[in-house]
Amino acid sequence: MEKGFVENGFIIDLSDAKNTTQLVFELSSIMEHPDVKGKKICLKLGDLDLKQSQLLSIKALIESMDADIAFIDTNSEQTEASAISLGIIISELSDKEIPSIAASSESNIKEEAVEIKIEDENVKKDDLNKTIEIHADIEQNQNSPIETAEDVEDIYEEETTQEISEIIPTEHFETNFETLALNEGLVPKEEISKYILLDTGDVLPAGVEENSVNTEALPTLYINQTLRSGQTVTYEGNILIIGDAHPGSEIVATGDITVWGILGGIAHAGSLGNITSKVRALKLNAIQLRIAGLYARRNDTLNVPYVQKTNEFTPEEAHIEDGKIVIYKKLRRD
Amino acid sequence: MTGRVIVITSGKGGVGKTTTSANIGTALAKAGNKVVLIDTDLGLRNLDLLLGLENRIVYTIVDVIEERCKLKQALVKDKKNPNLSLLAAAQTRDKTAVNAEQLKEICDTLKEENDFVLVDCPAGIEQGFQNAVAGASEAIVVTTPEMSAIRDADRIIGLLEAKEEIKSYKLLLNRVRPSLIKSNEMMSVDDVVEILSCPLVGIIPEDTGIITSTNKGEPIVNDENALAGKAYRNVAQRILGEEVPFLDLDEPKGFMAKIKNAFAKLKAKV
Ligand SMILES: Nc1ncnc2c1ncn2[C@@H]1O[C@H](COP(=O)(O)OP(=O)(O)OP(=O)(O)O)[C@@H](O)[C@H]1O
Ligand SMILES: [Mg+2]
Repeated sequence: MEKGFVENGFIIDLSDAKNTTQLVFELSSIMEHPDVKGKKICLKLGDLDLKQSQLLSIKALIESMDADIAFIDTNSEQTEASAISLGIIISELSDKEIPSIAASSESNIKEEAVEIKIEDENVKKDDLNKTIEIHADIEQNQNSPIETAEDVEDIYEEETTQEISEIIPTEHFETNFETLALNEGLVPKEEISKYILLDTGDVLPAGVEENSVNTEALPTLYINQTLRSGQTVTYEGNILIIGDAHPGSEIVATGDITVWGILGGIAHAGSLGNITSKVRALKLNAIQLRIAGLYARRNDTLNVPYVQKTNEFTPEEAHIEDGKIVIYKKLRRD
Repeated sequence: MTGRVIVITSGKGGVGKTTTSANIGTALAKAGNKVVLIDTDLGLRNLDLLLGLENRIVYTIVDVIEERCKLKQALVKDKKNPNLSLLAAAQTRDKTAVNAEQLKEICDTLKEENDFVLVDCPAGIEQGFQNAVAGASEAIVVTTPEMSAIRDADRIIGLLEAKEEIKSYKLLLNRVRPSLIKSNEMMSVDDVVEILSCPLVGIIPEDTGIITSTNKGEPIVNDENALAGKAYRNVAQRILGEEVPFLDLDEPKGFMAKIKNAFAKLKAKV
């Protein structure tokens, strides 16, 4: 094995992640590879400040993939303190010695990182042209308070670090999907669209205009639990859920929604008109997807199994493109 | 036009109110009537699932009451039958989000433009029940041939009788298993009717097809071959005033059986 690899393990460099949401997604795209199983992971966390509960769930998630954290490397005192209290070993990795996996750089991953080939490609771009008959032209419930906030453990706001390094493409997550898909000449094969736009009329609340605020500048509400039927989370900013969102639950954010798990309920991103908002999940089975003023329902013909399991991590992302909600899926080709 | 508002209630939970609402609603609509189904089980809504309409719900009854949308906008049209629509319950709220007066107002508005308004009532006798009953003038009491369900149905009938607005109420006996009745392990239809002294509107057999139809979001009345589907179609016809004989679910008829039956009745009453 190459120098720098601990025995039976490898290094994941997440130091470019600008916030927890991104970190979780980078990590998930790496962890999706079956070779991760049983490995000892050395996590490079960079400057990101992670609170104890955040680090704990990252650890739990790595463990849920049958892997282990060997040690972490961090520049943040906060993260260091969290690691100490969790009994996670801290070690320093020097960039010179060790070939590292830069999660944000595709070529790095391919060339230097173990045998992982993260070939995230656009697989399917849904055609969402059809409309159906539900009409609505009034204000929707935007201003409801965070209903489950009191019940949810471990909720806090996370300050987003806004250092944009020039090396990192700001939207690398998306660009990968699109450009790679184009390069690979991947076209959607299935005729059936996963989501169908609802003709709901103007559903943005009165006085709210469409806008394109950078969601990365918004605070993030971090929730470490499964949302069950009947539970609602509403937040001005981004919402990151580590866990599943069951059918019957509702997530409403003025920014992005990220579910590290199965999203089965209703998700409304950009609820105050932000058309750049995205909904991301490891499995996107939302009964309804709402982004800004666009509503889409899951296709009736889409057969979602009664019991949903996910051992396979194939993150999906929904966002608006040309006035339609489109969904991109990462697929591993092997 | 003034339509009929019928509440489907039971007292005991899980005896088949929602299944009955979805099926009778679908059957009435198929027969050419304009039908609205109202789910009043706030926080535990199911009717949308049984009809396979969950993905179409944008507004719920609570949005109507809290004036976030107009009543018409909240009506979700059925996938197959344009005569049928659903006013969904809110999943993220509880029974206190709605009161009886508001529900009555909604029923009154809906009956102006529909032949039937069917109200799926939550279990229990508390506010949810009071709300559901408020706008109705007829009731269907669902029960199963079990002592506990019958006891609760009896309680409900008592409450309905005390309500001036309820002009008529009928019994729907669900999950009947002829083989068990035969072996005297289940009360017979006659027994139940006698205990409750209430006219029957339908007898629905136990049918595993109901489980699969629930999971598919497709009421069993749409299945021409299912016995339970046929039984529900008959209920719809009776509601429309036709005389339809009850399905022969193979009740014991001989002399010996009658005696056995009498014993079963005794046992049941003890
Ligand atoms: N005739 C039948 N044969 C077999 N299963 C049935 C029958 N009727 C109802 N069930 C099953 O019984 C269960 C309860 O039915 P349903 O949800 O309609 O009851 P409910 O009275 O509305 O319950 P709740 O009080 O919770 O609202 C469901 O799983 C349904 O599939
Ligand atoms: Mg019910």
